[in-house]
Amino acid sequence: MQNPVYNSYVKLLAFDLLSLTQTPSSSSSSVSEPTFSRRGIPLSRAETLGTVTLRDHKPHKFLRFLIDDGTASVPCILWLNHMTSPYLARRRRPDDLRLIADSSARFAAEVRVGVVARVRGRIGCYNGKVQLTVSDVVVERDPNAEILHWLDCINLARNCYNVLPGLGPGPDPGLPPSSTRKENLAE
Amino acid sequence: MAQFEIKSGALVTLQELNHSSPFFKQGASLRVTGKLQEYTLETAIATIVDGSDFLKVNTEHLRDLTFKVGSIYQFIGELQIRSENNEGVLQARVGRNVDGIDLNLYHQSLLLLRQFQANHLNNPAS
Repeated sequence: MQNPVYNSYVKLLAFDLLSLTQTPSSSSSSVSEPTFSRRGIPLSRAETLGTVTLRDHKPHKFLRFLIDDGTASVPCILWLNHMTSPYLARRRRPDDLRLIADSSARFAAEVRVGVVARVRGRIGCYNGKVQLTVSDVVVERDPNAEILHWLDCINLARNCYNVLPGLGPGPDPGLPPSSTRKENLAE
Repeated sequence: MAQFEIKSGALVTLQELNHSSPFFKQGASLRVTGKLQEYTLETAIATIVDGSDFLKVNTEHLRDLTFKVGSIYQFIGELQIRSENNEGVLQARVGRNVDGIDLNLYHQSLLLLRQFQANHLNNPAS
């Protein structure tokens, strides 16, 4: 059966994202990337939201930062080497690279310690630990954004990611699988 | 690339930060939220309250944050327990103004989040 969430940015709480199962790639390619799965369901992209608590900026190379959502901290890497990478120069048109480089530079300027950021990216690993390779960043101004993200993650896990037919073992035991956010909050 | 780790600030309410709480530990990384009751410029100590509970926060490492009594702030940092009086002071490394936050929703969602996390950890990914 086709996996409907494989190419989606799945919303996961940080502790959930960091506990994904990593499987070494079976690809014959010399550079093998592991694959990631949650309850047996392969995933490639994720969205996280939280407070930026650490920032390591190497101009024209990369920006690494941590997103703390209160359950754990997700390491993220935003590449800033689009205009200097021979690898990318062979694979992308210069105009495209310029656009990507400009947006990455804008994201890097917005990611400051203390802001709340919504980060989407490709799931990868560094030193054996899950890491997000950043696709885009939005800084959240709404003070309730983190709360709503927690509720989205819980709702999606219970009612979507855990119950994909034929792929997962089912919902969390002891929890109402189809309960709504409002019902849950009323408990 | 160098080691890149820092502990996540556990979500706690000020009500939970009593001396018998499992969160009340030397060096514990915490995230707290409360209304600013008092701020002393000379010491950079902020006092936040939530109902009848309060916590002192050392803000000396925070930049670009202005303090306004009556506003709501959220801090992430490490708890330092002073041996002379067993008082906990949070050494903040991150802080922000969260005026407009729905504290009732925050507290309810926090309970739901803990319930979800506990269930998830008891039934890990297979």
